[in-house]
Amino acid sequence: MAGKGLAIAAAIIIIAIIIGVAAYYMTQKPAPATITTTPPTTSSPSTTSTSSPSPTSSAAPAKPVLTGNFEKDVIAIGKYLESKGIHTVKFTVWATGDPNSVMRMYGLYQAAYDINQIWKKNGINVKIVMNKFWESSFKKLYDEFISAVPQGTNGDFFVNSYIYIANLASQGYILNINNYVEKYWDSVFKDFYPAIMNAAKYKGQYYAVPQDTEARPIYVRKDVAACMGWDISNLAQLVKEGKFTWHDMFKKAEEAVSKGCAKWGLIHRRGSAHPDLMQFIFAYGGKLYDPKTGKLVFDVPAVYKWFMTEYVFAQHKLLPKDMMSWSWAQQIHPTVVNNCKGSPTGCTLFFIGGTWHWTEWQTKAYYYDPTTKKLRPLTAEEEVKKFYYMLFPAGDPGDKPVTLSQPFMWMIAKNAGKDNPNYNQLKDVYHELAFLMVVDASKPVINAVHSAISGHLPVRRAAAALLKNETWINNLIHMKLNLCPTVMKAIAPIVQKTAKKINIEFLANVSYMLEYTHLAPSHPLYPKLAGFFADAINKVLMGEMTPKQAVNYMIQKIKADPQLSANVEIVGSIPTNWSFP
Amino acid sequence: MNLKKKLILLFFLGPMLFVVILFYVIPLFLSIYISFTPMTDWNVNRYLTQFIGLANYYRLIHIMMYDPDMRAVIITTVVFTSVTLAINVLGGLLLALATYFMDERLSVPYQGLWLLPRMTPIAVYALLWYYFFHSSGIGLLNTILMRLHLISHPIAWGLDPRYLPWGAWFIIIFINGLVGVSYGMIIFYAAFKSIPKELIVAARVDGASTFRIIRHILLPLTRWHFTFITVWQLFSLLTSFAQTYLLVAWRVVDSTWGQPWALYVFRTAFTTTKDQGLAAAASTFLSAIGIVLGIVALKVLRYKEMILEPKGDI
Repeated sequence: MAGKGLAIAAAIIIIAIIIGVAAYYMTQKPAPATITTTPPTTSSPSTTSTSSPSPTSSAAPAKPVLTGNFEKDVIAIGKYLESKGIHTVKFTVWATGDPNSVMRMYGLYQAAYDINQIWKKNGINVKIVMNKFWESSFKKLYDEFISAVPQGTNGDFFVNSYIYIANLASQGYILNINNYVEKYWDSVFKDFYPAIMNAAKYKGQYYAVPQDTEARPIYVRKDVAACMGWDISNLAQLVKEGKFTWHDMFKKAEEAVSKGCAKWGLIHRRGSAHPDLMQFIFAYGGKLYDPKTGKLVFDVPAVYKWFMTEYVFAQHKLLPKDMMSWSWAQQIHPTVVNNCKGSPTGCTLFFIGGTWHWTEWQTKAYYYDPTTKKLRPLTAEEEVKKFYYMLFPAGDPGDKPVTLSQPFMWMIAKNAGKDNPNYNQLKDVYHELAFLMVVDASKPVINAVHSAISGHLPVRRAAAALLKNETWINNLIHMKLNLCPTVMKAIAPIVQKTAKKINIEFLANVSYMLEYTHLAPSHPLYPKLAGFFADAINKVLMGEMTPKQAVNYMIQKIKADPQLSANVEIVGSIPTNWSFP
Repeated sequence: MNLKKKLILLFFLGPMLFVVILFYVIPLFLSIYISFTPMTDWNVNRYLTQFIGLANYYRLIHIMMYDPDMRAVIITTVVFTSVTLAINVLGGLLLALATYFMDERLSVPYQGLWLLPRMTPIAVYALLWYYFFHSSGIGLLNTILMRLHLISHPIAWGLDPRYLPWGAWFIIIFINGLVGVSYGMIIFYAAFKSIPKELIVAARVDGASTFRIIRHILLPLTRWHFTFITVWQLFSLLTSFAQTYLLVAWRVVDSTWGQPWALYVFRTAFTTTKDQGLAAAASTFLSAIGIVLGIVALKVLRYKEMILEPKGDI
């Protein structure tokens, strides 16, 4: 009995302790949502009522409004923040991409540095402190951003593909910067390429600023072509004129494999159909979006031709059936840059790649050096020796060659500045400051450095001009750039490997492709539709479905979803008098 | 029951009830609530107070009727749950019996070996099987079979339409079964060990074979445990998706035939469409099915008889 009583007493004490601890924490004021900054006024970013009173005086500056004059605006914001007792502003950038695209983060570090310098020069005691988060998969970063915004744990800047603008804007997750862009139109944005600037819009309003763009060339292994006895010196021109189509691609791929010059005729991306494989739809004269109705388009003839093309390639063993499940690092890149085991020539004749791969192959160790028997990156000179590049050919004779760009954008989260004091009171000012940082990060020099080291294409004319400037190129190669120490340190190893005249020539050589570029639709439901395409093309490649079945499968999937069904026009029918190859 | 007894009961059951209500009952009702909202992209501020009635259920039924993949999802759920359940319960029982009759010096490491899949972090475990079943030459299974000249080309075990749906089913059942079987093994083994040794010795003295000892002593005395394992694993399998999700996401297993209902719910909520309203409706549907199946299982296993007070004097 005594033991029982003791046990009950012990249990009561334990529970009382738990309740006491819980009660203690419940009576405490909520802690700031994220890491606090150093200023003296340390209130919860979303709770103005608990913040200490702001130091105000009759001489306090008025709330700033952007004027279009960068330095003037920066000073006005700095003075205003200082008058409110803010001495440190904390921002976080969330960015994604290939390993060489670090300027997507460091562009904003440079902007913070530049603004800090302006404030220092003008005796303003405010400082921007940056944090970063990097994720290699752009889709994964988007998923994380989506789930983080409602919790307020997202980054203030979100650097990702423009295809997400529509959904993020419609959900109210990113800032409408239309008014800000208008103010800076003449001084900054007039210089941007109009087509790329348009990609930053949703329902006629700007929600982002372009960061980079790219083209998706088809790479051709020169050694495989030579082995086949195929002169490719004029191939890019033939493709440009629409005289070399996907029917010819098939014939050449078949020839390469049958002659034993390559194991595969064609290699392409894994996982998703967007963006690379969507080029087939445009190459076969199809479309994905109807601007008149604002609806997505499921273009049956073009989709059928795409599926049939890949189906025939896979059935003839010119393209791996399990292509969609290949690994980038262990299979795709090694297959493209190496020779097949025991063969003096490449493993594939064609590769549907991107301009950024050109520099990625120079920084990542995908190449197996037969002399040292070790993996290492390719040199720029080796790449020139190995690869020829051209547009994505027209589907049928009469169609046009294409490429597809997926401009990356600087987006500002709707709650940008949330980790700073007096957020509710000062959020407009934090938003303006965030925008000015994007303006600074869009400077030609930052844009040009990013292009040169990552193999992406510039989004503004002034950056393109720098890439043609011999002196500037030499300064880049020798790291004589007027950038902040953090950025210089971060890009030094990449510059060492990739900032070469050959690479800058490559960018110049592929820039004509932008004249042929297409953009995937900026529609909230496009990512969903693109997901269905990925499943369908996987089934086609694996032989689980014929192209006709896959088209019907897609139609059923669209119709089965009431939301998608109301937003997608299904146009055309399966062509009966068409064959491939 | 007088007040004092009630208070003691509440005192001992209270903490557990609190945990169950906080982590199981409230989320269940929250999920049901979300199924009546248009929640997408986790936009809680915008959608949490918007009611759309049964619209998500209408959509779910529409999708079930017309989406070509939903038939596969339903069949896969039935096959995956029933076959893996049988493996987990019967396999666990067999392993427990085997280790019960083994020398302890052998049975302990043997059990440890079977516990490895459960102890391995899910992502690592899935990664091991990713490389094992990979469809190309980097897959271990393909490498072994090609070295033995049993196959000439790598086979996409979970993807190749020639082997679908069996290939995909085999992989997801195999990797989930391997994890689940150890749970049954531990419970049954502990149950066998708790049976008084005298009963076994007496049976042996009377000349009973091992089979008869199992049939007439071990199994009848562990009916409680059998019921518990069956019902627990049933619920667990209906809602498990982690390893399967990774193998589907990494495209080692076909996304249609490797997708049980729980994975469909997860993908709808988190990856493909981020449509939490629809996912909540599908999840509510799954909960309802789970409750019905649980009740049926308890009836079939005569749970009520087991909890009756013993008849007669003791």
